Formats: sequence, C-alpha cells, structure tokens
Amino acid sequence: MQHQNRLRPFFENITFDRDDNEMILNFGPQHPSAHGQLRLMLHLQQEMITKAHPDIGYLHRGMEKMAENMIYNEFMPTTDRMDYIASSSNNYGFALAVEKLIGLEVPRRAKVIRMLLLEINRLMSHLFWLATTALDIGAMTVFLFAFREREYLMDLIEDYCGARLTHAAIRIGGVPLDLPDNFIADMRRFLDKLPENIKDYEDLLDTNRIWRMRMEDVGVVSKEMALSWGCTGPMLRASGVAWDIRKEEPYELYSEVEFKVPVSDKGDNFARYRIYMEEMRQSAHILYQVADMYEETIKNNQTDLMAHAPKYISAPKIDIMTQNYSLMQHFVLVTQGMRPPVGEVYIPTESPKGELGFYINSQGGPYPYRLKLRAPSFWHTGILTDLLPGHYIPDVVSIIGTTNIVFGEVDR
Amino acid sequence: MRAYTPKDDVQAKSYYTDRFYVSPQVAKQDVSSDEVFAADLEAIKAKFEVLEAYIQVEQMVVYINAKDNVDVIKLVKEELDYTQLSEMSAIDWIAKSGQFEIFYQMLSMGKRKRIRIKCFIGKDEAINSVEKLFRSADWSEREMYDMFGIEVNNHPFLKRILMPYDWEGYPLLKTYPLEGDEFAAWYEVDKIYGKEARDIIGPEIRDTARVDRYDSERFGRLGHEVPKGTKITGNEPKTPLAYQEEGGVFMIDRFDEEKSVIITDRNR
Amino acid sequence: MAQHKVNYTQNAGLPVALTTIDKVVNWGRSNSIWALTYGLACCGIEMMASGASRYDFDRYGTIFRASPRQADVMIVAGTLTKKHAEFIKRLYDQMTEPRWVISMGSCANTGGMFNTYATVQGVDRIIPVDLYLPGCAPRPETLQYGVMLLQKKIRAEKAIKSQKTKRLM
Repeated sequence: MQHQNRLRPFFENITFDRDDNEMILNFGPQHPSAHGQLRLMLHLQQEMITKAHPDIGYLHRGMEKMAENMIYNEFMPTTDRMDYIASSSNNYGFALAVEKLIGLEVPRRAKVIRMLLLEINRLMSHLFWLATTALDIGAMTVFLFAFREREYLMDLIEDYCGARLTHAAIRIGGVPLDLPDNFIADMRRFLDKLPENIKDYEDLLDTNRIWRMRMEDVGVVSKEMALSWGCTGPMLRASGVAWDIRKEEPYELYSEVEFKVPVSDKGDNFARYRIYMEEMRQSAHILYQVADMYEETIKNNQTDLMAHAPKYISAPKIDIMTQNYSLMQHFVLVTQGMRPPVGEVYIPTESPKGELGFYINSQGGPYPYRLKLRAPSFWHTGILTDLLPGHYIPDVVSIIGTTNIVFGEVDR
Repeated sequence: MRAYTPKDDVQAKSYYTDRFYVSPQVAKQDVSSDEVFAADLEAIKAKFEVLEAYIQVEQMVVYINAKDNVDVIKLVKEELDYTQLSEMSAIDWIAKSGQFEIFYQMLSMGKRKRIRIKCFIGKDEAINSVEKLFRSADWSEREMYDMFGIEVNNHPFLKRILMPYDWEGYPLLKTYPLEGDEFAAWYEVDKIYGKEARDIIGPEIRDTARVDRYDSERFGRLGHEVPKGTKITGNEPKTPLAYQEEGGVFMIDRFDEEKSVIITDRNR
Repeated sequence: MAQHKVNYTQNAGLPVALTTIDKVVNWGRSNSIWALTYGLACCGIEMMASGASRYDFDRYGTIFRASPRQADVMIVAGTLTKKHAEFIKRLYDQMTEPRWVISMGSCANTGGMFNTYATVQGVDRIIPVDLYLPGCAPRPETLQYGVMLLQKKIRAEKAIKSQKTKRLM
C-alpha cells in the first residue's frame, strides 16, 4: 500500500496572492550554485531582492557534541569534515589548540611539514573556489582548468598521507610521517608551472566583459559591515582591513617566511576575486621558501616529527615495539586518551576561508568539556542577510560564490 | 542491583580514573603582567564590577555580572578598540551549579589582543542581546538558543538556526545524549511517512560494532562480486578487471587491459 | 591512466545491426545515465572531481543535471541530516521512472562516523537505494566503478516489461 505523502510546503502560512508585487523565492537547499546546502528565502520586488533570509543547518552533524564524547585524538578525523576543501587546515587548528592547552613545542621538521600542508591546502581551496565560482557565473573552461591544477595538488597530498580529500595528516604534537622522497621535487615542478596557470585564468577572466559586469560593484561589503559581522580572511581584506593572522599573530614558522598580504578597499566581488588570485601567488611564494627550510632540516639532521611528552603523546613506533614503558604509555593513551590540564583556550588560525578558531574547555578529563568551533563561513553566510537586499537575482549566485562558504563548516 | 548512572550528564565518561590523580592547571598569569591588558581592565573596573580577571594562554579573561553584559561590551567596543566579536557561545554547568556560562570572544585589531568576557546566568534566566553592537551576535545568539535553549532578550529573530523549527530538545545540553532521544530517532520517519510507518522502517541501527556477516563478505570482495542472494561458498573464481557482462554489450567495445596504454608521466 | 584505442569500423561500428528492443533500450538507458547534482557534503567534492577534467565523467554519458526531472540517477553524495531528509524524499519523488539511486560514501550508507542526533543513519531509511559505495570519501574511481556496475544492473533489467515501481514500503 502506498502511504500518503505527508510532506507539506514549508510556507504554509504565506499567501502568494498579495496586493503588492512582492514574491517569495525559495532558493535551495539543493541548488547547484549554493555551494552546498544553503537555503535562501528571498523576498522579491520585481527582480530586486528586498529581504533575504538565509536558512542553514542542512548539514548540521553535531560535531561539537561529538567532540564532547570523543578523546582528543579521536576527534581529529572529524575536523577533516568541517572545511572539506582544505582538510589539513582544520586538523592544524585543532592540533594547535590542544598543543597550546598542554603547552607543547613541536619539533622544527614537523613545523616545516605542517607549513607545507597548510599552504598546499590553501592553494587547493583557492583553486576550488575559483573553479566553482567561475562555473556558477558561466565560465566552464576555468572550472576545468582549475580542477586540473587541483588534481596535481591532490596527488601531492595523496603521496604524503594517502587520502585525497580527508587527510587527517596532522597529529597533536607533530605530524605522523616524513615527506616521501619525491615530494619536494614534484612540488617544485608544480609551483614552477603555477604562475603560467594563474595567468591563464586571469587571461580568461580579467578582461572578460561578462565576468567584470557580474563582479564589479556587486556585493559591496563596507568596512564597518565586515567588522560588525565578524568577517575574516579574504572577505575582510577585500573590505580594506589588512588583517591576516599569519602576519599579525604568527604561529608556526610564518614569522620566518616572507609574504605579502593583499588588501583591497573596494569590497566588491571583483576585489575578492583579485585577492584570491594574489593569495595563490603568495602561497606559492611561501611554499618555495618552506621547501628550502625542509632541505635545511635534512642538512641539520633534525629528524624528530613528534614532540616528546610521554604524558600526552605516544612514543615513536620503534620505542613502543622495544620498550615496555613506552608500550604501556601508548596503551593508556590509546584506550583512555590524554588528559590535558584544567583550563581553557581559544586559538585562532588563518584557514583559507578566514579565522578558524578552536575554543576548548578542559576539565582535566580525557574528553573536552566544551569545544566550540569558530568557523569563518558561518558569519560569511550570515552577512548575506544584509548583503543581498538591493541586488538582483543573478547577483545572488555571484555573491554566494565570492563569499566562499563551505557548509561542512557553517553547520558543523 | 543495577548500577546507578547519573542522569544530569549523559556524555561519555572515562571508565577509569586514578583515585590519586590530580590534574594540573593551565597557568594563569596576573593581569598586571601585561600593560595593555592591565589598562583595559582598569577601564572596565572603573565602571563595572569585575568578579575575576586573569590572563590565560596570552588572552585576558574577565568575569562580569550577566546584567552588565551589553554595557561592558559597548565600552570594550567603543572605547577600548575591540572591534570584532569573534565568537560567543555558552557552556553548560547545570549539573554542577545550575548555571550556564556565556563567553564573548573579542578581538582588537589595533592592539593585536584578544579578550574573553564571561558571565554566568541561571538555568531559567535570559541574557540581553548584543546584536545591536555586533551584527555577528545575531546568528551566534540564535545558535546558542538552538543548542542550549538560552533565551535572549531583545533579539530581532530568535528562532532555531541549525536544527529544524519543529525540533524538540536542546542538543548541546549535557542531559541530551549524543545519539539523540526518542524524538530525534524517529524524526524523519514521522515527518515523511507518519508514525504508523515506524514498524515497517524499523529502528535506527546505532551499534557501530554491528557486523552483518553476509554484508561484510560482499563488501570486501572486489573482483569476486556475486548477485544478491547467491550463497557464498568462498571458492568464487576471481573475475578479471572487466566491468561488462560476459559476451559483451550491444554496440559497445569491451575494455581490454592488454590493448591499453598506461601513461605514467603526467606532464606528458 | 589508460588510453583506450577503439576501431569502430572493425568491431561494432556496423551501420546496420540486428538486435532486440530490450537491448536497444537498455543500451540507451545505460549509456546516458544523467545524474542529479546532489552533493551534500565532502563526497560532493569528489563527485565534482569525477565530473571535472581529470576523471571526465562525460565519457560514460553521465552528465550532471540540476533538475531532478531530467535526471535518471540520484547520487546521494554526503551526509543526510534529519533537517534535509524531507527534501531528498521530495526530489526523489520528482524524478521520472526508471530511476536509480547511488548512495555514495559511508554517511549516506549508514550514517558513517556521524553517529549523532542530527544524522539520518543511512539514506535507505528514506528512499530505496540500488548501489552502496564504501569510503569516506570514495575516490572518483570508486564512483566511476559504481556507475559501471549500475550500467551492468540496468542492462540486466527487462526494458519492455512494465517496470515495478520502486518503493521503500
């Protein structure tokens, strides 16, 4: 027997035959250019949006609740699924927060490898952003081009950790593996070609009449608005605030590398696009320097990959296999989990999308008492409430595109 | 007799803790050790009551009274140059003291400093909204209401944000189990097919250790696939790398590994 | 990566072919599986990668369509949450028969690692599923293999017999 379908329209109480010309348009939650599961309810006056109401939560998977029920190391793969375009940057944010909580210093080689992974992730994320935004606006070629380069980066990451998308490549206290032999050479070969590729995209887009019409002076975020909405990352820098956590509150080895922070005071879609492109160049510039640093660590024979802290971090595999005490420690750490000190910590890092912060409240147990994930995209989605009114329907797509939101991170 | 399990906190607990284990503390410095923070604290203290203040992991933590929250944040924003509200949320301490702890994580880009303003409210009390000062609090407060059920006064649109509007229960409370309650377990079935379909669809399988022997055998047997329902003897011959039926497919040429060229150099 | 050379004049490139209606219909169906763009989470990114330049899904005849009314197969790529559950049912109902569903990745299969209050423990609680792909996230190769298996399944069906409507209950 076929049961009656009980689904009813969401807008039962809204009448569409109103006296004025206002119409309500439902956009999503399954829309190809919503970058995931965004639902927008748009009030329209002709084609002009008068009121926008973003509805999120269609990918809420309860990560904060999971964190309260998982030991610290167990939570690491879950962070992968937040901003799944650049997984390692989430791994890193979490690892850094826990390291700050227990007061751990990571060996230099591990720091270098982490820097490599972070910047490769930034490149991956920006290339993906370019691909999808260009596709949404209609530039299919750029989508295919950018995905081609992204696949090379995926190969690099795969060489390192074996996964393409969900890396879990960073551990609390260091990194699990050293770089494979050909990694640096492959990366250099890719980076040598990258400026040429970026120029290809720019040739296709920069002077493209359609691209400029849909990007210039569309979605202008003023400085006050960006600050008030908690925007970070390229969203903030496109609005004239030169704030990059890598530069202002350096973590890892960012104080040792040289790079520029691109800023624009226009605040429109085109400014954000230019900033993404420039950041890709800067990431490549950082990667060259970090590659040199890695070779230096080989020369100086700095081989440690994990910090030495028997209370919190397992000993290297060779010790576990040969020494009784290390084996016992490892067993306790794996079955019961580490017990960080009582206290709380909020650690921000600059993920490709903006400020990714982890707030951890530990009560001395093996499970965090409260873990709050501060994901940049959450507020970049919220700003659509104020940003969309006054724009036309086609602008919605390009504005959502340039805010670069990822729903794993918005809804967590 | 069945062992008693506390109902006020149903989150995972460690199954063994050394009786004599005393957990260390993350070091707290006095606020006077940092002159920028000391000046900020003086400015707050001049107008409002500060219950406690210290520096932990390079950030100042200030405890204030819950009724002062809007005024303190206004002062901090307008006079002390903390221009961004990075994050705000709550912590559930109901099992311990019947209170929620609410924290506001602020950032000053001019001073390159971060402070955390905290306050406690009782279980059934409401907090005043700071949405007028920071638009970002609009969504944060909605999320807090959604996850903890904390009511926010003067909020323009206090509705659930992450969970559906017709959801029951507040997921981040310590009394709420990770796997959800009865309502959560049947939510989608009730909504789409109705309550009478529960028997047909059956309960959710939440046991992560559950292994269906036949499922797992088929799962792991790439290259030894058998049609559904076939009895598995374990002696199935390995099917070579071919994705088509025996005898070929109409108008489609069969993939032949021998005749293919393998490209190894990706920069070819 | 393999490059495959086909000589159309030699093997099956005949201008005239004798066959049964069953085979012709199934040939058409199995080689133009249009998929609904249903990227819900991380797996959606791998689904996009399969459609992009390196993996090139178009050579299977798999073209992504944004409307369920034009799609034959729904690739459920990602976590289905309780809030989204009603929409998957709605979109599935909008697809025309014959229709197939591929459940891509652990989350869609069983709820995967998200054993929480907000996640539907397997899309087969809402809609009938033809193919389950393991992995978190499955690689594009897995998805392509899955589509090949689906083609195999379609070719085994009787095309002219009236299709039994797939219902969960």
